[in-house]
Amino acid sequence: MSLFQAAFGFGLVSMSVIAIAAVGFTMQFGITNMINLAYGEVMISSAYVAYYLNRAGVTIWVGMVAGALFGAVFSFLLNRAVYSPFMRKGTANLGMVIVSLAISLMIANLLLPIVGDFSVSYTEHSSSLLRLGGVLLTQNQILIIGVAIVLMLAIHGLLRYTRLGKAMRATAANPTLARNCGIPTQRVVDSVWLITGALCGVAGVVAALNSDSFAIANGAGFLITALAAAVLGGAGQPYGAMIGAVIIGMVTELSAAAWSPEYKEVVAFGILVLVMVLRPQGLLAKRGALAAAG
Amino acid sequence: MLAQSEGPMLAGRDVHRHFEGMRAVDGVSIEVPRGKITGLIGPNGAGKSTFLAVLAGTLPATSGTITFEGRDITRLATHQRARLGLVRTFQLPSEFGQLTVLENLLVAAPHHRGDSLFGALMGRGYWIADEKRLVEQARVLLRRFSMSAKESDYASTMSGGQKRLIEIMRALMLEPRCLLLDEPMSGVHPKVVDEIKYYLQTLRAEGLTILMVEHELHLVEELCDSVVVMAQGKVIGSGTMATLRRQPEIVDAYLVG
Amino acid sequence: MNTYYAANLLVYAGVDIIACLALNLQFGVSGIVNFSFIVFQAVGAYAAAVLSMPPDSANGGFQTYFGGFQMPFPIPWIGGAIAGGLLAVPVGFVVLRKLRADYQAIALLVLSIIANTVITNATHLFNGAAGLALVPPPFADQIDPNTPGYQYLYVGMTAVCVALVYFVVTRIVNSPYGRTLRAMREREIAASAIGKNPVALKMTIFVVGGVIAGLSGALLVGFIQLWAPSVWLYPETIILFAAVIVGGRGNNLGAVLGALLVPVGFEEVTRLMPTSLGPPGLIPAFEWVAIGLLILGFLWFRPQGVRPEPRNVFEGGPETDEVDRARAV
Repeated sequence: MSLFQAAFGFGLVSMSVIAIAAVGFTMQFGITNMINLAYGEVMISSAYVAYYLNRAGVTIWVGMVAGALFGAVFSFLLNRAVYSPFMRKGTANLGMVIVSLAISLMIANLLLPIVGDFSVSYTEHSSSLLRLGGVLLTQNQILIIGVAIVLMLAIHGLLRYTRLGKAMRATAANPTLARNCGIPTQRVVDSVWLITGALCGVAGVVAALNSDSFAIANGAGFLITALAAAVLGGAGQPYGAMIGAVIIGMVTELSAAAWSPEYKEVVAFGILVLVMVLRPQGLLAKRGALAAAG
Repeated sequence: MLAQSEGPMLAGRDVHRHFEGMRAVDGVSIEVPRGKITGLIGPNGAGKSTFLAVLAGTLPATSGTITFEGRDITRLATHQRARLGLVRTFQLPSEFGQLTVLENLLVAAPHHRGDSLFGALMGRGYWIADEKRLVEQARVLLRRFSMSAKESDYASTMSGGQKRLIEIMRALMLEPRCLLLDEPMSGVHPKVVDEIKYYLQTLRAEGLTILMVEHELHLVEELCDSVVVMAQGKVIGSGTMATLRRQPEIVDAYLVG
Repeated sequence: MNTYYAANLLVYAGVDIIACLALNLQFGVSGIVNFSFIVFQAVGAYAAAVLSMPPDSANGGFQTYFGGFQMPFPIPWIGGAIAGGLLAVPVGFVVLRKLRADYQAIALLVLSIIANTVITNATHLFNGAAGLALVPPPFADQIDPNTPGYQYLYVGMTAVCVALVYFVVTRIVNSPYGRTLRAMREREIAASAIGKNPVALKMTIFVVGGVIAGLSGALLVGFIQLWAPSVWLYPETIILFAAVIVGGRGNNLGAVLGALLVPVGFEEVTRLMPTSLGPPGLIPAFEWVAIGLLILGFLWFRPQGVRPEPRNVFEGGPETDEVDRARAV
């Protein structure tokens, strides 16, 4: 198997991990207008929850569920305790960015004394390799891709076919109108934080699973990649985030093979810069990151 | 720049503004005659404010051309149009909250030696003369609108009507050639409405061109020399109020009584 | 008191004050949330370092870096300031034009993280993670840096820089131009409507802030004589934001106060605490939590800071004139 075939395989796994993270992140922004900079830290925290369970002998796949629950509850509480109060106080978008950055810093530093600053990894034996058309993947990697596909379909189903999903789309398009039409915005917002929090938790666990090792310091990198995919696809557009994840996942892995693996996040950042210069609203244009009129 | 003494002050030709599938402005052509007050009326959602925003440059036109004093300004940004003398006000309060009322007016002054990095670094001596002159100019306006007592108050603490006045005064500090007013009387105390009306009429007498979006038809009747009616993104009629009242489609669509 | 301790404290205080004044100009007065501020200080430090250091084959060649021009003072400091300004041009060009304000902030944050990664890995540029050491301090050939006299000299030079920066920033803020910046901060679209060009204004202030940040970096690297990526991680910018928010946004004296309370204050308080408290790294971690709490606390209870932005009252106003009470509006 050539280097590029291997890179392509890694790309498939990478895009799966990024998709789960990016869709959660972009939905948080799309529906609550909140750029949650603590997202990476919530991912890492969930990864650690799964890690401690794993050390106690629990398989990582159960740990993933635990991570999802943890992420859901954590994100929900974060919104209720911090973000919502500040937003209701009338804090502007720019102020909320400072708030979420402060929170992200606090989470990372509250965790550090507990988990330590050294790298850890999951113990998950996946010796069986499978061949998928020219590409060699471990069992874990294939399961990650599977999880991603299932979650993407679930989100698609949620948004398209359920009442909650439609309420979410309405709130994202026009919150005032949605409220006036009788949509219980508070409940919708709570659900959004629970669901995207769960996605965030799963994303953290699979990202950690997909790395040789991880530590608190990786939180920033997780955030950047999810952010890049979300903005590329059009901030607030879940399907855009999926497309963005495919592109970023593949490009970063191919560049890692061609160039150097340390620069994966730099490549993601480079894509982010290109998007900002050439097409700030992202691929699936709506407003996204584009400035309001003027 | 030669100002044309013939021809409209401001004109829009086949202006479109589409966004997210909505045709807010759907092929509007307008000519705003020099030195007159023109009203822009129509039911809610007609696209009046959007069209005003396109004329001002706040929103880009999807297609069509806009000319100001014969010059094509379609590609110009809002601040460039403001510097040419085409000035707009806003429907929602747009005061600079953490600046005082007086500062709100001062900041609008277009030619201030201190309003550049160079000027600032040169120090007070360089720009103090301009500042004193403009403070006097602003105070004249404040006296006019009976807001002298408030000059040192933060603009954010003013009432809705006062904020509206601040915006109008701020626009006037720019010595505009054409004013685009977006519902200037909404939320204003009736006594102040008279004051604004009187001031607008004085400005018209001095040659200022005004295009005004307004809902109160009696105000439109008293102030506007002619009127353009919009509905659903298009112009459905124009002329004096008297002429329009004789057109049954327009009366049905919008004019009541 | 030990001269070296005092000098260390005063130089750091000076650097922090300069940095906070620049950040206050960008964030407090003009509303630019520059989350990449520390990168501009870093580029100034790196530029000053490679301008003043000998070529990298010197000292046994244990470092690799580009440059090494051995320029005497004041060239490295001027170079540092210029480097800060130059970096601001492309960064501002990409970020400050079409993006929504909160995305601008995030783009700058991401830049800060990525810049650190790139410099750490591109070892041939600035010696990677190990960073640059043995940076010659200014006037090292004329005066022995290891004497108390030199410490006094450096403190004096720092004080001159602080005074210069304070003078420049005050002139900008207390001028009609400063008023325009504040109007843009308050409501950008309305500022456009009265003829102000927000992009030009933001770019200008971004570059001016970059120049000042670069100078602060040159100042610091000349004193501590080393500079590595670990010194300028992205959270360092957040400390400065906390300082400006606590001290008072939009108020230059507030920025000075914030610099003394937060970066300097924290540094001194932690110096006094026993280092063996809990597992290693506990105290720095709690410092960060405290910074976060400070920011949230002030944003909630007192967003204007300890010394709020002053209200400008003009002489000859209603207190001295007859007040028009004929009609209450």
